[in-house]
Formats: sequence, C-alpha cells, structure tokens
Amino acid sequence: MTTETKSAIRRVSPVCFAAAPGESEDRDGWQVVTRYENEGEEGPWLVDLSHRPRWDVQDGHVDALRPGGVSVPQEAGQCRLQDGLLINRMNRTQAAVWHLAGATDGMPAEAAYTDVGEATLMLALFGPQTLRICEKLSALDLAGLQRRPPFLVQGPLAHVPCQIVVAQRNSGDFGGGILWTCSRGYGRSMVHAVLDAGREFGLRPAGEQRFTDWLPSLSSD
Amino acid sequence: MALMITCPVCGPRNGYEFRYGGEDKGPRPAQRELSPGDWFQYVHANDCADGIQKEWWVHRDGCGVWFTTYRDTTVNREVPPPEEDA
Ligand SMILES: [Zn+2]
Repeated sequence: MTTETKSAIRRVSPVCFAAAPGESEDRDGWQVVTRYENEGEEGPWLVDLSHRPRWDVQDGHVDALRPGGVSVPQEAGQCRLQDGLLINRMNRTQAAVWHLAGATDGMPAEAAYTDVGEATLMLALFGPQTLRICEKLSALDLAGLQRRPPFLVQGPLAHVPCQIVVAQRNSGDFGGGILWTCSRGYGRSMVHAVLDAGREFGLRPAGEQRFTDWLPSLSSD
Repeated sequence: MALMITCPVCGPRNGYEFRYGGEDKGPRPAQRELSPGDWFQYVHANDCADGIQKEWWVHRDGCGVWFTTYRDTTVNREVPPPEEDA
C-alpha cells in the first residue's frame, strides 16, 4: 500500500468528477480522492486511476524483459497480473506496464522504458452491469466470451483510441470490470460519455478505496 | 456495408480504425546507382489496380501495427490473398 508522501511537484489528473470528495490525500504530488460522498453501496463505479504509475516498454526482444520482476506475456492481446502489477502485450515489440497497486521501485534505466503516466489517463469501471455500459460505449467485443480475463483490447471506446483491459467478467450476469488508458486530453469528454452511458445503470464516480477493495478479487497469475 | 480490415494482431475490425498506407510496391530499391526516374516511380507512381491490389494499412486506433492485406478496389472489400501469394 502506498504511503502518504509530500512532493514539490504538483500533478493534476486530467479526470474531474462533478462529485463532492469525502476524503482525499496528497500522494507524490497528486491530490487523490479516496472516497466521494454518495458513492452508493452497490456500484457500478467509475474510479480515476491516472495517478497510478504507467510505463511503455518497447524493444525488439520485449519478451526478454521483466518489468518489476514480472515476465511479459508471449502474445499480443495477453495480460499478466501479478502482485498488483499488470503487463499488457500490445504487439510484437511493445508492452504496457500498469502499477495497479501503486507501488513501484522506480523505472528501470534501460532505453526500452518510457514513463507515460503523464501522457495518458487511466480509469476503472467495475461492478454490476459493467458490460452493459461497455456495449453502449464501444463496438469492440469486450465481453470476449472465448477469452479469459484479464485480456487486452486495443481500439476505440467512446470513439477515442484506448488500451482496454477486461479485468473481470462475472458469469451469469453483465457484471465485471474494465481498466483503460487514453491520451489525457480526452479526460473531460471521456468521463462525460461514460457517466452518461452508465446513468441508467446507477453508475457513480467513486474514490480510490473502492478500486483498492476490488483489486484483490481479480484473478492473477 | 462498411469496410472491414483484418489486423494481424486484433482480428477483423471496422475500417475506420485504420489508416491506408498506399500500394505495396515491394522492397525499397537499392540506393547504389538508383536513377531519379526509378526513385520517382517507386515513390510516386501507382498502379491503381482495377481489381485486387496488395496494400499497406496501419491499425492507427488499435495496436499500431503496420501490415499488408488485399482489397478489391472495385467493391472496396478486403479479400483473401490471391493463390500465388497465399
Ligand atoms: Zn491491431
């Protein structure tokens, strides 16, 4: 778990919810809302994770690298989740590393690594009816019934090019969870589109704590 | 029906996720003793096939991969590779 640290750099998330923060903390220069008022108890929830560290890894032999001690999946579209670290294989030469649990020992110095945390935003949508909300936002096959979560889909969500990870799919209903990144300039319109699509299902913005509580339920390697 | 393109990584997707990268003209000609005329032909001249053409595409809104595929230009549909290239 991340400890509270003060930083001289002030970082601003591109994601902004029109909801009253209940609790927040300063973490490495980010103002992180851990709980909003009126989150509801049932979900579905939308959580801003833009403060979580993210790296791009690009190398002719990307398989040989072990970001954070975790091996890169062999095939494009595959994901590996281990100890709160998620690695998405994007194509022959590229992978994305998302520090879902927040902790990182710092980015390796090799040229293969680029810190993209401040180039993109990251959101999580999870809880009941999640896949119904997804169907309103994208023509991509996010239910992916023949694939086992977590898996990666690269394509448009709300018409914005995204890297989407289907992290959980509940059997028998439309519940589950997705995580995604896109260019941070889309922050406002992305949140607007997702909350609008989710309104009929009771979607609400939630603080980081909801995500932290949900993360251990994801199946990992 | 809208154009569908098959990405080698992501599978069949809406053509709007891709950017066209021009006709496939084979490998870049060797630099040594390359005449301006031949270079012009390679860079600018197109066959504009009336039928099946091999061409470059990039999955711009997806995985970012460049690849070649075949399209019937008369109906604007992706088609399987002709037998001699399969
Ligand atoms: Zn692709």
